[in-house]
Amino acid sequence: MDAMLEWARGPVFVFSLTFMLLGLLRHVLVTFYEMRRTLGRAGDKVLPYRQILKATAQWLFPAGKIRHEPLFSVTSMIFHVALLVVPLFLGGHILLWQRGLGISWPAIPNALADVLTVVAVVAAVALVVQRAAARASRDLSRASDYLMPLIVALPFATGFLAMHPALNPFPHQAMLFLHVMSGNLVLVLLPITRLSHAVLLPSLQLVAELGWRWPLDAGSKVEKALGKQGEPI
Amino acid sequence: MNARQTIFKSILWWIMGVFAVVTVARFVNGLGSATALNDGAPWGFWIAFDVMAGVALAAGGFVVAATVHIFHLKKYEAFARPAILTALIGYAAVALGLMYDLGLPWHIWHPMIFPQVHSVLFEVAMCVMLYLTVLFLEFAPVILEHPLFAWPLFKSIHSLLKRVGVPLVIAGIVLSTLHQSSLGSLFLITPYRLHALWYSPIIWIQFFISAIGLGLMTVTLESFFSAWFFRHRLRMDLLSGLARAGSIVLLLYAAVRFADLDIRGKLGAAFDGSAQANLFLFEMAVAAVIPGVLLAFPKVRNNAKALGTLAFLSVMGVIGYRFDVCIVAFARPEGTTYFPTWLEVAVSLGIVAAGLLTFLFAVQHLKVYPQDHVEPQAPQAGRAARRFEPAVVRSMLPESLAAPRRASLAVLTGAALAVAFLPQDALFGARPLPAPVQLSRTVDAWVLPRSGAFGHDFILPGPDGTPPAGAQAAALTMIDGNRDGRLVLFNHQRHEDVLGGDGACVLCHHQDMPFHENTECYLCHRDMYSVTDIFDHSSHVAWLDGNAGCARCHTDPDAVRSRATAMPCLECHVDMVAAGARVKLPAEGMTGLAPGYMEAMHELCVRCHEEKAATEPGKYPLELGECRTCHRDIGEVDLKRRWPYLTKEGP
Repeated sequence: MDAMLEWARGPVFVFSLTFMLLGLLRHVLVTFYEMRRTLGRAGDKVLPYRQILKATAQWLFPAGKIRHEPLFSVTSMIFHVALLVVPLFLGGHILLWQRGLGISWPAIPNALADVLTVVAVVAAVALVVQRAAARASRDLSRASDYLMPLIVALPFATGFLAMHPALNPFPHQAMLFLHVMSGNLVLVLLPITRLSHAVLLPSLQLVAELGWRWPLDAGSKVEKALGKQGEPI
Repeated sequence: MNARQTIFKSILWWIMGVFAVVTVARFVNGLGSATALNDGAPWGFWIAFDVMAGVALAAGGFVVAATVHIFHLKKYEAFARPAILTALIGYAAVALGLMYDLGLPWHIWHPMIFPQVHSVLFEVAMCVMLYLTVLFLEFAPVILEHPLFAWPLFKSIHSLLKRVGVPLVIAGIVLSTLHQSSLGSLFLITPYRLHALWYSPIIWIQFFISAIGLGLMTVTLESFFSAWFFRHRLRMDLLSGLARAGSIVLLLYAAVRFADLDIRGKLGAAFDGSAQANLFLFEMAVAAVIPGVLLAFPKVRNNAKALGTLAFLSVMGVIGYRFDVCIVAFARPEGTTYFPTWLEVAVSLGIVAAGLLTFLFAVQHLKVYPQDHVEPQAPQAGRAARRFEPAVVRSMLPESLAAPRRASLAVLTGAALAVAFLPQDALFGARPLPAPVQLSRTVDAWVLPRSGAFGHDFILPGPDGTPPAGAQAAALTMIDGNRDGRLVLFNHQRHEDVLGGDGACVLCHHQDMPFHENTECYLCHRDMYSVTDIFDHSSHVAWLDGNAGCARCHTDPDAVRSRATAMPCLECHVDMVAAGARVKLPAEGMTGLAPGYMEAMHELCVRCHEEKAATEPGKYPLELGECRTCHRDIGEVDLKRRWPYLTKEGP
């Protein structure tokens, strides 16, 4: 078990972390490259920057958006706060950074981390339940929409049990192994699934705006793609 | 692009990702961390593959140039541009590979201003540099034909280069002849280290002939590759002509090697059944005899499959010849082994991938192949049949966007995997090798008091030694923790007597392992130089009833569970530290981390000796605290050489 744990914390973690960092960097670069290109080909190059900035700020801190779907919005916001705070500011994690690379930053108290961890797991389950409960959201959802919150909650659940050996019915090292591996899984999924909104979020409003800036010959291309040249669409 | 091109290019980009990471590791942490090269094997995989095989593989350039422009066999003109492009990329790859192999790669241009005119390597360096320039000038007209260079200035350069074309070809042939053979001449200096079946006074002729054969076979193989990748038409009429020439050259090469061995009386060694003899026969069969004989038959060389297979066989065989000369058949000093690390192989593969990508880029954007080579692409059935789905953005993505996405994903995956599998040294820099410490041994010796000076001389008796006058027999402790031949003889009995008999043990034996007394040094100080962890966490977990026991040591639920915040060891192990020991616990208490053996010895012995010399000057001389009091196998010169590492202040 110790050897497997070392493997998970060693090569697998290094792979996952590198894959995540380079993958997210790739996303940012590809997004900027394509935005630049779209703007270059667009017929209408005038962008309402002020409105885009405002919308971006609103969606980065969506306190004003709660009234649309209050319960789901609040659950989602709490989920995101716990998701960001616990992995980055747990004392045990910071100690690992300190040991490995010699860098450290202030930690949150363990008790707060415990609370946030439970909140994250409960919120993940609640998000899935709420998504399944309403007909409208059920029709819009794909399998990955249900799966993703649960996958993200896995390192939290296993981490909680690893932090509280007295509550943990399984061997401690095995639970730690599951924790590290599920964390690695989330790292790998970050750049290749919708989780990449972690870095792409600030650009989403701009991308959406640019999406409506068609190239001048866009109409004829749509006709061609549909195979209906010269016909009414 | 079709699926074949997409997959092949993605694999090349994946290799580029690995290559990028390995490049950083090699240049940041050095050759020692990234390679298996050492002083006994300074020439390894990179020299054998990137340089020796790389130069030979690129021989197609001058062979085809000579065929077309000197022998005026104009029908082979279709091969001229691809062959020169391959040679240009090949030589650039050789230069790039050399940058990885040189310890000081930024000195690569030094042969130009520090000529060592008696050196074969100097000649090779100058020829390769000049020939790379010649190849670039030979290929430059193809680049200048691109619409990007439709300027009057470039047009005049183009026509100038066209006019000096034949002189350039001649220069290329001369330079190639010189250095293709000189790469073999390098081994004239090693008549006793290179195995007799490979060493020859005319090894330079063998290198040259095999390079011509390899060049012809490489051009052939490259045609097969282009036909496969670009769906070009295979010009079997021309390829079969090349194969006929190749057959003659390969048979000539085989004849020269066997005749040379026979004349020098070494041919018998090829059939003595030894591993080297079998390797030699296998290499000759694959590289020259089988392809040479079979390609002599028109029926065989007109068959595309047979020709492709035999060309591949021959290319592998001649590369194998270069590997054998460079690595396999090259004797190394006793005890030195060489087997390349995966990083070395990755660099070579990466250079090949970079070369292939450059080749594909050039073929796509320049007129490398004549028009009648290129078959019109069949319309792709899948594209028209695909249903239009507004949700699938990808179907609307232009090809120019999808390709960078695919390539960058391949690079990313390769790079992340490479980082994960980098050896520790290549990732973090070279660290001391583990030097496990073993129990000191007891030796019988004679102890002879020094006349008129403090101390005793120690004499280790030979098998039939007689003791010198006045010597006494004694059992000395031989301290040589890592068994490297350097040792300190320690008179344990005398220290015991001087320091006060039985009660003095604890002065040095400062810590007892559980259920143990006067624990020996090496049981905790387990590495000669590095700090070792002597705390056994998993055993403690087992003894303290698994998960339920965590809180018995990690008592504070608010603290991060670590060595520093756990309950001090002494709370349970009350008698672990010997009372009255000279060695004091560190300020943070017992940590379970033991300093290296050397540091532990120095801190204990040197400090005590210095103290005795200072506090009891009448009884002990001042030099008691110096190195040679204990290190009697080190002379004065050695001490001077080593002083920065032995003392903090210096002499």
